Amino acid sequence: MELILALLQQLSVFLVIAYLFSKSPAFRPLASTVLQPRHKLLLYAIFSTFSILGTYFGLPVQDAIANTRAIGAVLAGLIGGPLLGTAVGLTGGLHRYALGGFTAFACGVSTTAEGLLGGLVHLYLVRRGHDSELFRPALAFVTTFMAEALQMLILLLLARPWHEALALVQTIAAPMMLANAAGAALFISIMRDQKSMYDTFGVLFSARALNIAEHTLGLFAQGVDLAAAAPAIARIIQRETGVGAVAVTNRQQVLAFVGLAADHHRPGSPIASELTRRAIAENRILFADGLSEPYHCVLRPDCPLGSALVVPLRLDNEVIGTIKLYEPKRKLFLNLNRTLGEGIARLLSEQLLRSRYEEQKRLLITSELKLAQAQVNPHFLFNALNTIIAVLRQNPARARQLLLHLSDFFRKNLKRAGDLVTLADELDHVNAYLAIEQARFDGRLQIEQTIEPALLNLKLPSFSLQPLVENAIKHGFSQRLEPGRLSLRGRQCDSCVILEIEDNAGCYQPNPAHDGLGLSLVHRRIQNLYGSAYGLSVTCQADEWTRVCLKLPLPQEAP
Amino acid sequence: MKRRALVVDDEAPSRQELVELLAETGRIEVVASCANAFEALRALQREKPELLFLDIQMPVLDGFALLQLIDESLLPQVIFVTAYDSYALKAFQENACDYLLKPITAERLNQALDRLDRRTGHPLALQTTLRPLRQLPCSSTNRIRLVDVRQVEYVVCEPGGIYVVTASDRAFCDLSLKIIEQRTALLRCHRQYLINLDQVDEIQLQGQGLARIRTRSGQLVPVSRRYLRQLRSHISQL
Repeated sequence: MELILALLQQLSVFLVIAYLFSKSPAFRPLASTVLQPRHKLLLYAIFSTFSILGTYFGLPVQDAIANTRAIGAVLAGLIGGPLLGTAVGLTGGLHRYALGGFTAFACGVSTTAEGLLGGLVHLYLVRRGHDSELFRPALAFVTTFMAEALQMLILLLLARPWHEALALVQTIAAPMMLANAAGAALFISIMRDQKSMYDTFGVLFSARALNIAEHTLGLFAQGVDLAAAAPAIARIIQRETGVGAVAVTNRQQVLAFVGLAADHHRPGSPIASELTRRAIAENRILFADGLSEPYHCVLRPDCPLGSALVVPLRLDNEVIGTIKLYEPKRKLFLNLNRTLGEGIARLLSEQLLRSRYEEQKRLLITSELKLAQAQVNPHFLFNALNTIIAVLRQNPARARQLLLHLSDFFRKNLKRAGDLVTLADELDHVNAYLAIEQARFDGRLQIEQTIEPALLNLKLPSFSLQPLVENAIKHGFSQRLEPGRLSLRGRQCDSCVILEIEDNAGCYQPNPAHDGLGLSLVHRRIQNLYGSAYGLSVTCQADEWTRVCLKLPLPQEAP
Repeated sequence: MKRRALVVDDEAPSRQELVELLAETGRIEVVASCANAFEALRALQREKPELLFLDIQMPVLDGFALLQLIDESLLPQVIFVTAYDSYALKAFQENACDYLLKPITAERLNQALDRLDRRTGHPLALQTTLRPLRQLPCSSTNRIRLVDVRQVEYVVCEPGGIYVVTASDRAFCDLSLKIIEQRTALLRCHRQYLINLDQVDEIQLQGQGLARIRTRSGQLVPVSRRYLRQLRSHISQL
């Protein structure tokens, strides 16, 4: 009984060391299931030390040592496999052998056997796919218990004189089997707790990174404007990382500053820190950890900030600014926050690039649209004026009507190209245009219009229909000698709205030069706005008809 | 004496306006106003005007194409009338007398007629560079179209006019036999017939210098004594 207590006592010392070890960085590699050779070597060193310490802390009993040496060997086998277990067992065993006594040889052999036993259990479980069981305290208890029983057996077999061995075993068997098994179980439970803590930590880290990604996603939706987005960026990063302060700068000045020392780090002031200037000039991440390289605020000596991370923000590999994370002097700059900070900067750089691409795409379409309008209108205008002058002679009232249509047409044309309008608006534009063309061709052009009234409030990009109608007249109707018929149809389907423009000329040729800018421009604008499921398609029956079909999202689905 | 003129424009209001303006000048008699090149070809042959007011953008055959189809002996002076200034250079290369932009003012119209007066005494020829015709403007019962010269088997001049005959079809053509002979690869085989050698199946000699051609679709075309020799030498050169 006394022996059990004594063993448990030394076990406590042992477990304290184990606990401290589990908190040290050296433990971290053990948290992963797959061990690299480097980590196995580390494990070997650690568990051999445990094993040897177990012998040192042991109590001399009848010219032998009651000890906790087995824990190191068995756990090494359990965690690292047969090879590691045997190696640790052998090391612990050799050490024990060197100490001498009548059980020296038997103990040396038995410790090696114990390590091997742990390793065999490991092998058995891994082969069956029960890797997670390895860290169960109950398993460690049973395995160690069996290992100690094995050791007793070996003692009886190998130690001479036999009767002394028997007496020894009778004294130490129960205490050692119990103490070692309990120790191993406790040890493994400490390791398990630490391991699961790392796992939870990993989950938290990912969640935080995703959170930041989500919050920063829309920041550059309105275009590449770092100054406008800076306060939001700084706020989000500070909230999610919990660092002392966060700043966003462009190449010259501070755009936003959030957190400690915001009283003298003012947005709008020029960049004072040498660290930041260097990060910009060298286009790389710089870190003043506060220990080997302290961060000194040049603005005020009593500034509480003591460490800083400066990450350049890049756009097309050119530095356009920086993001800075600070911690106060009394706090350590966490590695975690360093990684997060770098990741955020990379994320923002990618968003900036994407945003610039989108912006350029938008600009291109808008300017093409303006160009197309500028190209088309003079021809139309002169033909229209010529028609109206001719009509004026015959029928002044009708000429007045036509002038009103013309003015209506141009007013609609002057609207900004990017705007969304209702279908009713767009049809007004088209009808003003058609009224003039009908007068111009004097009854040779017939128009049919069947649009579901419910669709009149549908929103669509301005200039979606007019270019298509103009196209049908220019490249369809006016190429034919026969009278022309133009149908405008609009209907709602299950999943979309279909607008159709059909002429009876059938002159369509899929030739980009022939289309003018009209068709492809309308198509690209709609795809850009609503996605590739929508847009424009043309079908043609030569000499019979050409049908241009515009597919738009249902009103409630339009963004 | 008023000049006799033809107005060609596919837009009715525009056409009417020009006719009114011309009447106001008191210098022009408009003998016909046409809505397309086909009508114009017929009116040219019928009226033989000395002046043509010609729109450029028209369906099927534009103003420049029309000029290519006019018999040299009938070529009038040409004043282009258009809403676009982008054709001006080409118009003058075609030796046009003037180029009017719509809407037309009375002053500008009078200037153009003055210029025409100064030009009198010069040969009227519009020295267009004549290109081979690849299509013949034709009208059948109720439609107007262009017939590909390669499809044509023969062309015949009948009391009613010129007819272009293909394997499947027979259409009235507004061009003269002489113009078709000059501007296509079709060969004269008879005073009233042109034949497409590519569509000939066989030539049946009938003695006395006469012959008959059977076309690929089996139609028969007479060959007169006068043209048989020329036809033979032509074939031997192939």
